[in-house]
Amino acid sequence: MKSSKATRARRSSDRARRLGGRLVLLVVLLGGWEVGARTRVIDPYFVSLPSEIARTIGGWIASGFIYVHLWATIQEAVIGLALGILGGVLVGVLFAFSPFLAELFQPLMVVFNAMPRIALAPLFIVWLGIGLASKVAMVVSLVFFIIFFSTYAGLREVDVNLINHVRVMGGSRGDLVRHVLFPSALTWIFASLRTCVGFAVIGAILGEYLGADRGIGWIVQYGESLFNSNMVLSGLIVLMAFVAVLDGSLGWLEQRFSHWKQKPL
Amino acid sequence: MILVDHATRTFETPSGAFTAVRDVSFTVAPGRFVSLVGPSGCGKTTLLGMIAGLVPLSEGRVLLGSRPVVGGVPPDIGYLFQRDALLPWKTALQNVALPLTIRGRPAAEARSKAVEWMRRVGLAGFESYYPHQLSGGMRKRVSLATTLIYGPAVLLMDEPFSALDVQTRNMMENELLDLWAETRNTVLFVTHDLEEAIALSDEVIVLTAGPGRIKASYPIPITRPRNVVEIRFREEFTRLYEQIWKDLRDEVQQSYARSTQL
Repeated sequence: MKSSKATRARRSSDRARRLGGRLVLLVVLLGGWEVGARTRVIDPYFVSLPSEIARTIGGWIASGFIYVHLWATIQEAVIGLALGILGGVLVGVLFAFSPFLAELFQPLMVVFNAMPRIALAPLFIVWLGIGLASKVAMVVSLVFFIIFFSTYAGLREVDVNLINHVRVMGGSRGDLVRHVLFPSALTWIFASLRTCVGFAVIGAILGEYLGADRGIGWIVQYGESLFNSNMVLSGLIVLMAFVAVLDGSLGWLEQRFSHWKQKPL
Repeated sequence: MILVDHATRTFETPSGAFTAVRDVSFTVAPGRFVSLVGPSGCGKTTLLGMIAGLVPLSEGRVLLGSRPVVGGVPPDIGYLFQRDALLPWKTALQNVALPLTIRGRPAAEARSKAVEWMRRVGLAGFESYYPHQLSGGMRKRVSLATTLIYGPAVLLMDEPFSALDVQTRNMMENELLDLWAETRNTVLFVTHDLEEAIALSDEVIVLTAGPGRIKASYPIPITRPRNVVEIRFREEFTRLYEQIWKDLRDEVQQSYARSTQL
């Protein structure tokens, strides 16, 4: 809908207030932490200090130490995410168009999905080594199921009315896929994509944590073995920044593809 | 031309076979506007589905022109659904252009024709709106344009205006008649509203309460062009209404009694 000048102005002032509020919240939290640790209300040995963490991360960036680890985690998460999405979409489409296959594999899918991945991680390392492949497998095992279930649901739950509408105007099977089924599935897939990003990072970190020679998960695990809470927290902060960037870019992508949707009142 | 010949449709349900339409035969001559009226649940939608090739026949046959409808949607047919069937992820213009896109017409031609049809249904300026941004009446207009843009010889309409408020509805009925005066498709219009049926049609066919059978058929000799609001006050309209209502009343009562029996 076309927005008038007034609503646009109100929207931008809402935005400014929201951003300002978030900034204040951040300052209060970090300031409280810093002051608390300096006055020994909380023990800095266990929780470190924001200033200390900032210095550590700054040092990592200056020395270049962080890049190899960050790159390793990004690679694992992104490759795993891509393969998981690809596999999930392909199998979802296959099952949606072949009820026989869907029936055949249904119990297997449910059981595999219910399996705790953390128990799988050591096996992946035994099978695929401590390098990239075992972490990618971990990420795929999480992302695949989420995407599979949304693709399958997106294709099965299509409004019959829409299908009939396109059939009656002379649409072929290909037209149905292109104009009805694919856009419908896409909305479901996008809805679950952001969940997937979270799981992809968890999968990569989990894999690294249990056996790796690099990655943010490795830093966290190494810091723990030295009882160095500062190192652990610095690793986690770097991770949070990475997830925020990934999630933000996905949010932007999602908006581009779902601009036709009705916003809730 | 539409020819329905001894058409029957039976569904298997958990409580046994259910007959939605029983032994229905009628013809609609080319360029005629015919309405089917009957109480709710009399199989009107099933009957349209059979003609559109969406519902297979249990017995009998359907011919469009000289071609039998078997195994799929016949070419050259338009269907206006009771519920909105616009694709929510396409703009109004993209929705209207879709039948041409599907027919492989060049994008520029599809676009310019769609713009023209948006204007003809009174929606110039709303081309880039998505369906959820339009009112119910506007969405109906878009649906109508989507159906008329490819010039189907046969137009099936399933209570297309039943969800609209009375004023919008009367406007849409008049607009439909204006558009039809130019396109002259063969129209089969399903409704439960007798006034609407008489105001629009050349002929009104009354169906019985389910299973739907043909009870009677009435020619409507009111001259065209018509204004659906004004002809309701004409004496011949009232006379026809009374005459047909006598037939319809029993069926409506029967259908109502059945729905309250449980």
